[in-house]
Amino acid sequence: MKTVIRNTTCADRLLFFLLILASCAGIFISREAVSQSSDVLIEVNGKPAYTFPLAGDRTVTVNGPCGPTVVEIKDMKVRIREASCPNRLCLKEGWIAKGVIVCLPNRIVVTVGGKSAGSPRGVDAVTG
Amino acid sequence: MKKNLLVLLIFAALLNLAACAGRKPAVYKKTKPLMDTLVTITVVTNSEGEAEKAIDDALSTIDRFSGLINFFSDRSELAQINGDAGIRPVRVSPDTLGVIERAVFIAEKSGGAFDPTIGPETRMWDFPKKIRPPDASIREKLGLVNYRDILVDREKSTVFLRRKGMMLDLGGIAKGYAADMALENLKRNGITAGLVAAAGDIRAFGLKPDGTPWNIGIKNPRQNSKADELIARARLTGKAISTSGDYERYFIEHGRRYHHLLDPKTGYPAGGCRSVTVISDSGLYADGFSTAVFVSGPEKGMRLVTDAGVDALIIDKDGGIHTTPGLKGLVTFEDGH
Repeated sequence: MKTVIRNTTCADRLLFFLLILASCAGIFISREAVSQSSDVLIEVNGKPAYTFPLAGDRTVTVNGPCGPTVVEIKDMKVRIREASCPNRLCLKEGWIAKGVIVCLPNRIVVTVGGKSAGSPRGVDAVTG
Repeated sequence: MKKNLLVLLIFAALLNLAACAGRKPAVYKKTKPLMDTLVTITVVTNSEGEAEKAIDDALSTIDRFSGLINFFSDRSELAQINGDAGIRPVRVSPDTLGVIERAVFIAEKSGGAFDPTIGPETRMWDFPKKIRPPDASIREKLGLVNYRDILVDREKSTVFLRRKGMMLDLGGIAKGYAADMALENLKRNGITAGLVAAAGDIRAFGLKPDGTPWNIGIKNPRQNSKADELIARARLTGKAISTSGDYERYFIEHGRRYHHLLDPKTGYPAGGCRSVTVISDSGLYADGFSTAVFVSGPEKGMRLVTDAGVDALIIDKDGGIHTTPGLKGLVTFEDGH
């Protein structure tokens, strides 16, 4: 072993060092990529209020202009469980595993599945 | 020799680091509930800070404008104009004056198919609650709908509705205008490419980081599934696109569809089309003309867009598709359409 190390040049050692660095970077890069596709982002009035992993079951209450809205995360799905807005369209959305639930009166947006959610089949925006 | 190799390697490593530091342009996106809908702004830039600042600035511009022309708020300038109808002219800000002047222009161009004085009629309908006003009330309020009774005094910056009970409703034009304002704001902040989408009223400028135009889906007015089915896609840069459809706010009663696009001449929902998409250089015209063409119906609507120099994709009441020649190359239809 010692002879192996003695036989390496500076360039060899530098190469080893760079290789180790590159593989460590890979861990961080892939972690970021995975988290984008499985996070639940809750925004109130356009500002991010909470980000939770989709994998952990929990219930959270957020307050908007109309009052509290209860968001439930369970079995890799999300729904609005209780709402204090007048028309309660958000409750009718039911459970989602990807996409967006919006409560306009209470100004709450729940996004599942990272930044590309809500853009079906590779379009940048949808009219209509 | 070994030393030279080492120097070369260190140099290569440094070069690599430098390349990583000069970040490539990326897409940044933010959505906010504004104007009773969702507004999404997308920008292409190489600095997250610059993106954040430009998007927030553009969103607050829309928020301010929305406060001026909100039909449902008592404190808006629009509410003051409506409240003082038949009484006195109301002094308003340049933005409110600007959008009303342009609304009158589209009303004139479309022979009243788009009419911003539709307010007394729209106010009586409640689509989520499936409330249809009595026929007698619809007829009675029709007398208050006439864009020729809007008096705009540009020098004094005032707007006056000639008869009491008249009401301006800028819903058919405001989101397109807001998209225009937001885009100008982004440009002032140094952004050279992006998308402003006030729900379905979208303005695209510049190119995506991969050098291609923006890809905008056009919704199928009759969805077979829940997943935002598209009928076509448009590839746009430097253009605005808007859609008016009978499926946005509607209810069905005794087999008949009642939707929010009211014909100013009858007070009832216009029946000629399922959806109309207009592509224009300005968000305001795309928004205004999509409503005007929808109300006019496919034949008159086609003449209207040709005269106005904008492009349109009309899906008539039977599902027939009508397009202007200018759409060739811009719009591709999904399989089966």
